[in-house]
Amino acid sequence: MSALQGWLAGYITWTLATLLLGTVVIMGFLTFNTLFLIWLERKVSAHIQRRYGPMEVGPHGALQTVADMLKLLGKQLLTPVATDRFVYLAAPFLIFLPTLCVASLIPVSGAEAFAQMPYGLIVIIALSGFTVIAIFMAGWSSNNKYAVLGGMRSVSQVIAYEIPILLAALSVVMLAGSMNLREIVAAQARGVPYLLVQPVAALLYFIGITAETNRAPFDIPEAESELVGGFHTEYSGMRFALFFFAEYTNMLVLGALGATLFLGGWLGPWLPGPVWLLLKAYALVFVMMWMRWTFPRLRFDQLMTFAWKLLIPVALVNLVVTALLVSGAG
Amino acid sequence: MGVIGRVWVGARSLVTGLGVTGRHFVRRPVTLLYPHQTPDASRWNGPIDLKIFAATGTHDCIACNACVRVCPSDCIDVEGRRPEGSKKMRATKFLIDFSTCSLCGLCIDVCPTDTLEYSTRYDEAMYTRPDTVNDLLGRFGEDPYLAGKLT
Repeated sequence: MSALQGWLAGYITWTLATLLLGTVVIMGFLTFNTLFLIWLERKVSAHIQRRYGPMEVGPHGALQTVADMLKLLGKQLLTPVATDRFVYLAAPFLIFLPTLCVASLIPVSGAEAFAQMPYGLIVIIALSGFTVIAIFMAGWSSNNKYAVLGGMRSVSQVIAYEIPILLAALSVVMLAGSMNLREIVAAQARGVPYLLVQPVAALLYFIGITAETNRAPFDIPEAESELVGGFHTEYSGMRFALFFFAEYTNMLVLGALGATLFLGGWLGPWLPGPVWLLLKAYALVFVMMWMRWTFPRLRFDQLMTFAWKLLIPVALVNLVVTALLVSGAG
Repeated sequence: MGVIGRVWVGARSLVTGLGVTGRHFVRRPVTLLYPHQTPDASRWNGPIDLKIFAATGTHDCIACNACVRVCPSDCIDVEGRRPEGSKKMRATKFLIDFSTCSLCGLCIDVCPTDTLEYSTRYDEAMYTRPDTVNDLLGRFGEDPYLAGKLT
């Protein structure tokens, strides 16, 4: 029984209604999260540049993103003439669906948020690799040279950075002896957070998710100075908003996964588990924003060199050392 | 320098960069929330204005046309007439075309009665070209000298 299902089961017993309501609750939370993160991004960027950022709509501009969303909802949906129409229309939904699935798989406090999965980690990593297909679909179907370039860059980048993420997660799996995220957190409850045991893996994972979510300094698929908007150049209105939605949801979800793998997940004193998980995830997201407004964008060959010639060898060495230590200790 | 050395130098530079932005993040913003907060413009040299003297409560322009003659942009237009029973002229029209004024301040230097000054207005905006002409007498209303209240 997952956390949300358990909570809803106290009120309704019909499974389908539980599923629908649970989806609505998760979607509602993710929408709120996106609005909050965009506001936070603008505030962080503003304060790093010694500005105020949005201040007019609501207290400290808190309702600015709500106003922006309403504006995007009201905008006309433009479809360029020579698009591959089905693929073009499907891409915004396909980029969003995997992140929604992944969000329901993160354990919030002793149970997964919404869906139960004995090998949660491997499913999450497989699903988050799926977004690259949607990005490439968006880039290819737009019939726009910048969009195609953005899509191609995204594919090669995400494939390159999936490997260090996976290898970093694998060294955690070796320590915990399980691919079940609840088991991994339980193993950290018995000892210390894996950040202290596996600092190299934690760093590799963090660099990996920064690239995986197309965030600066790895925001090459949507490098605005080179590619206009990258893969979402031709999208407008709510379709564009879905790409934004997916990006920020992905940030939170991969941040929460990082918190689960390396920072002890929902464990923490005084506060309830989901609050601790969200605090840790948002701390990671904040560091990602901080990095975005500090580092310049990498050149494409630097990006590939960094992944294949540095991250993957380091991850492999880390994995082998971990394996040796674990088998030696066991 | 080997690979490890380059990685070390690069990683340290990244941390240094994060330190710089992190320090700025916790400092106070240097910008103003403009319509709500306005900057201190007391030392700003804005469009030319007529000075109000405390003793008379009005300006002291005698329409001598010195400013008109000295103006390199030829943007000042002054007319005046002599009130009855007075030796001094009084301005009846004082226009400065702000679209051509370069704020050089020669009119302020040349004014024999010291009645010209820089205002502290900094956010002038207008929609039409005729609006750029500032009527310096506009804010004074009836002239006490011309009305015979002051001599």
